[in-house]
Amino acid sequence: MIARWIDYLRERANIVRGCFFAFLLFAVIFDFVIERPKPHFFGDTIIGFWSLFGLLACLLMIIICKGLSHVWLERKEDPYDH
Amino acid sequence: MITELFVHPTSWFILGALLMPFARRLGVQKIWLVVIPLLAMATIYRLPDSFGVVNYLGFELQFGRVDKLTFIFLHVFTLMAVIGSIFALQVKESGQHIAAFLYVAGSLGVTLAGDYLTLFIFWELMAFASTFLIWYRKKKRSIEAGYRYLLVHTAGGLVLLAGIFLLYQSGHDLSFGILSQEGAGWAEYLVMIGFLLNAAAPPIHAWLPDAYPEATVTGAVFMCAFTTKTAVYVLLRAFPGFEVLAIIGACMALYGVAYAVIENDARRILAYHVVSQVGYMVCGVGIGTAMALNGVAAHAYAHIIYKALLFMGAGAVLEMTGRSKLSELGGLYRTMPVTMIFTIIGGIAISGFPLTSGFVSKSMIVAAAGYNHQTVLLVMLILAGVGTFLSVGIKLPYFIWFGKDSGVRATEAPWNMQLAMAMAAFVCILFGVYPAALYNMLPFAAEYHPYYAYHLSETFQLFGFTGLGFYLMVKYLQPHDVSNLDLDWFYRRGSVQFMRFAKGPVTAVNEWVSNVYQSIGLRLTKALARAFSWFDKEGIDWTIDGSARSIVSAGDTVRQIQTGRIQHYIGAAVLAVVVLLLVVFLI
Repeated sequence: MIARWIDYLRERANIVRGCFFAFLLFAVIFDFVIERPKPHFFGDTIIGFWSLFGLLACLLMIIICKGLSHVWLERKEDPYDH
Repeated sequence: MITELFVHPTSWFILGALLMPFARRLGVQKIWLVVIPLLAMATIYRLPDSFGVVNYLGFELQFGRVDKLTFIFLHVFTLMAVIGSIFALQVKESGQHIAAFLYVAGSLGVTLAGDYLTLFIFWELMAFASTFLIWYRKKKRSIEAGYRYLLVHTAGGLVLLAGIFLLYQSGHDLSFGILSQEGAGWAEYLVMIGFLLNAAAPPIHAWLPDAYPEATVTGAVFMCAFTTKTAVYVLLRAFPGFEVLAIIGACMALYGVAYAVIENDARRILAYHVVSQVGYMVCGVGIGTAMALNGVAAHAYAHIIYKALLFMGAGAVLEMTGRSKLSELGGLYRTMPVTMIFTIIGGIAISGFPLTSGFVSKSMIVAAAGYNHQTVLLVMLILAGVGTFLSVGIKLPYFIWFGKDSGVRATEAPWNMQLAMAMAAFVCILFGVYPAALYNMLPFAAEYHPYYAYHLSETFQLFGFTGLGFYLMVKYLQPHDVSNLDLDWFYRRGSVQFMRFAKGPVTAVNEWVSNVYQSIGLRLTKALARAFSWFDKEGIDWTIDGSARSIVSAGDTVRQIQTGRIQHYIGAAVLAVVVLLLVVFLI
């Protein structure tokens, strides 16, 4: 049953994607209307700061970690066998 | 006496472990597995403040010291034992259950210990018992990983013991309580290093991602809950407010997620997330305010449950498909949807989604860093949160249940595994929607309300845009069949080099020395022996024989003087008296 729901959603991937972008829009708009407590640092005062932080942090983390893995840390399965 | 013995929850688990083979013989092993943790859990509500004080060799050992901090850890440990045992019901081998019970017993013993010696005994019991949870997987890799795990923990235990000895030498009474940062020296820091090894703090963390993925499916569920969280408990008890811990913790949080982003094996990803999440707790201990310490206790509770849930999810997939590498999995949503839903609940809970336990516990530590104006820590912890959501919230479920269809057709996990996952998922959501259930157990007085508009907004944005990042980079994140080097390289390579050194130069030197001995040493020894033999015969024997001969001839002479006639003796005596008188008068 659960599998059928998921199949149903996968066939309508555009709608799911639309909902996701709508959520992103909502998250940013929500940040405009809320009441802000006393800020801990400058980021707390900028509207939409955490959106930018989330996106950049995610992209940088993927690029840096994957990059380090490719050029340095990565080994074929079990490097200690030989 | 017997009733007093069973006040201690550890006794139940030790009894449970000892009688396990009988329970199996009687066919009631499954009932036994559930009854024992439930009995232990019932016990913790009625513990006196202090019990089991024993005098041994002049030391006062305290097996039971109970306060609110002890209680919350005992509560989650016994609850986890119930869930873990239900998850393991289908395992027939008694040995695995015995190891798990002794491991839990050790963990409860450490939590209740009122002095360092009692703590150390149970600390070692934990390390010893948990090794069997790795060995019972019975693969070559597991056996090797188990040995490494045991060696590393033995080394850590020795460091801890050295710290305890130094504490004793400096006049400490060995009662287990708060140590002060001012004037802390070798003793305190050695104890801290011993604790940090079990908390898996880099650079002494590599045992964890090395061992946990090689443990048995059910063993890993126990292991992820007890070792590191017991370490968090002892750090919380002894080292609150040590600044170095705040820095170590924040680095741990980032180190763990960085590896989780690049790893391929599902259980290794989760193991790195243990490092990361325990980092939050170690950081909280270092911040040391009442709110931070409450956050540590709350996060330890929440973490044990959702991390176990994740390990159960990945373990169920491994049990049913025989695979745990993301590169070999994919498209399982059709065949294992229930496991998927529970694992995703675990995934969003670890990420700190609203309405899950992570949201109400993790944010306490982050907020405590903010209130304490430690902006760098704050940003590091939030950054680690982004990585957590990226790797466990999205990447792990996506590549197991969606992604490229691997063609693996499994059946759903057995009922008991699903029940255990359902229980853990229930706790994750319960704390999310009703935080008071968790907050009422917290040991310190500090007010915190997680649900306010700005916190929600921050969370929505972070997770929404992290999701966008994943969506943009999904091709780049495609898992490959590789593993990444970590700091265990030093001792794993180091041991190989040592063996090479032992086989090469050391053996060569050994042979050379024995050759030299054969050709020179042996002859020299023989010549020396001959020389000694000659000296013995010609020197010592001659001297001894000679003196014996002189004594005999002296004896002969004396015998001839003895005539045996009385007048000779009287004459001699008179002569002697005359000579004596002459001497006296003349001088």
